[in-house]
Amino acid sequence: MTKTLFIGLDGATFTVLDELTSDLPGVGVTMPFLKKFMEKGARAKLRSTPNPLTPPAWVSIMTGRSPGHHGIFDFIRAEENRGKIYFTLYDSRDIKTETIWSIASRQNQSAVALNFPITAPPRSINGSLVPGFVPWKHLRRNMVPPELYDRLKTLDDFNPKELAWDFDREKQALEDLGEEGTESWVAYHLPREGQWYRIAEFLLNEDNPDLMAVMFDGVDKIQHQAWAFLDPALLKKEPSAYEQRMRELCLKYFRELDTYIEGLVTQAGPDVQVFMASDHGFTSTTEVLRINTFLHQKGYLHWNETDDSEYSKRREDSNFANVDWDKTLAYCRTPSSNGITIRVAQEPGDPGIPPAEYESFRDGLIKDLESLVDEETGERIITDILKREDYFPGDYMDHAADLTLVLRDHGFVSIRNLEPVVMPRDVPAGTHHPDGVFLAGGKGIAEGVEIDRLDIIDVAPTLLYSMGLAVPEDFEGSVPTSFFSPEHLRFKPVKIKGQTLSVTDGDAEIEEISEDEKDKIMEQLKMLGYME
Amino acid sequence: MENVQHAASTDDIVSRVCSVLVDMTDDWDMDFEGEINRDTFLISDLAFESIDIVQLVVAIEGEFDKRGIPFEQLLMVDGRYVDDLSVGDIADFLSASL
Repeated sequence: MTKTLFIGLDGATFTVLDELTSDLPGVGVTMPFLKKFMEKGARAKLRSTPNPLTPPAWVSIMTGRSPGHHGIFDFIRAEENRGKIYFTLYDSRDIKTETIWSIASRQNQSAVALNFPITAPPRSINGSLVPGFVPWKHLRRNMVPPELYDRLKTLDDFNPKELAWDFDREKQALEDLGEEGTESWVAYHLPREGQWYRIAEFLLNEDNPDLMAVMFDGVDKIQHQAWAFLDPALLKKEPSAYEQRMRELCLKYFRELDTYIEGLVTQAGPDVQVFMASDHGFTSTTEVLRINTFLHQKGYLHWNETDDSEYSKRREDSNFANVDWDKTLAYCRTPSSNGITIRVAQEPGDPGIPPAEYESFRDGLIKDLESLVDEETGERIITDILKREDYFPGDYMDHAADLTLVLRDHGFVSIRNLEPVVMPRDVPAGTHHPDGVFLAGGKGIAEGVEIDRLDIIDVAPTLLYSMGLAVPEDFEGSVPTSFFSPEHLRFKPVKIKGQTLSVTDGDAEIEEISEDEKDKIMEQLKMLGYME
Repeated sequence: MENVQHAASTDDIVSRVCSVLVDMTDDWDMDFEGEINRDTFLISDLAFESIDIVQLVVAIEGEFDKRGIPFEQLLMVDGRYVDDLSVGDIADFLSASL
């Protein structure tokens, strides 16, 4: 019997949800079910991870731990060894703390987890798991249990090609696609969400898991490309025909999403507690900061030499820094990291600064970054510069960038070798905002409660509490008791007890990656054209 | 005698690699209609893309229950990536590496 329904809405933000749950002239209420749900339930802004990004943020939701502890910081993981830099991809084996699926499973609770990132290769759970971010050709072999794929094939309209990530398409999230491309991009995500909904509906109905969790990621993707048609502040009073079509397409997506949410909540029944959360919010980015160009101008970074070969072009276009590794002292690895890595020599003679000079070097770098200002207003382009020991404490702090940058428009940096350093965008685009959403509804949830802000690490303890499980003592967040009615809390007090298992304790099959395997993955990435 | 054992071992590896590929490509809508065997090529016959090779490496490691097989020695020759790989290439490499 399902106790808890968790609906993930990647990138959902109150800026949009409040608009779409309002009765707008000529439009009406786009998300009528969510409107009722929000009115009857509890809500709060949800503060994301210091770099509000999908992998670290969803893993914090899944583990109740911050990135310094769970170990996931970006899509891309990089390693440096004796002057050689290797780029690879984060996967589930890199998560160093226990997930709520595992915590529930070992207490004889069943769980279904659909479309959450960094869940492949899958660990066994007491229930079903379909990972997100996996190409359709490999989805079947990455499901838990192995026979799940054959069950799903019995569904009407089941189409793995629609369901799974198309990497070529998804990497266009931050590209300028033009009018036709943007329209096609948005339209592409409509049937995908329907696929995930039908699977969630099927497993909820057939298996009645104690915890039913599904993530809809189209919200994030559409907002990246179509933010101008969703942010109320950017809507034009007299839109062109294209702009009208785009607005209607976006509204259609959210109308359909509303019916999916309604379908799942209705099917779960009145006794189930329902939670919805996003990994981060959204806002407008109005300029591009070419951070590696700035670091080059300041003498920290030296570009790699390129030529006209296909290889060089492909390397230059990749989302991995293309710098001279013998001379560069500080650089940004990936646009999504918004971080600067300082190269510290591991041995005398290695590239990088001597370890003893780290603090003074970093202080100088911070001053240089602070000096980057808007020439007209004097306003700093980089409003916050986060030292990793302050924002990513934990066993895996060393995997974080030395400095994480918060830009004045919350944008992601560019790592391209282009000038000028700061370039205004022709039209504002969507980017991640630190404040996502956290909603609750159903039996035992306080009605009409609004808390200003909760933390992303509060989601996991809330879900475990809702399932009737104790919150592990080593969780960093807490259950927002204001979300629950006083009667519910009296009848069912929050219990804090026990510890999470280390990942190897919970699943002996998941081993540390050996050095040889790391090398192997690097080679695989070379095959993909991701690195030199 | 040693050579005979080696040949048998390689045949077994060919068989297991073929099984992995048959399972992996089961629902791929490929034009390839023949039987996957030692002479089958990943890219020209099975229309593999780079991401599929990544997944194949993971699947082979699962099949042989061993991680850290130095696949870079198979994928790169003289600093350049190979254009294609046959099942036989993979089996010979595994036979020498396992």
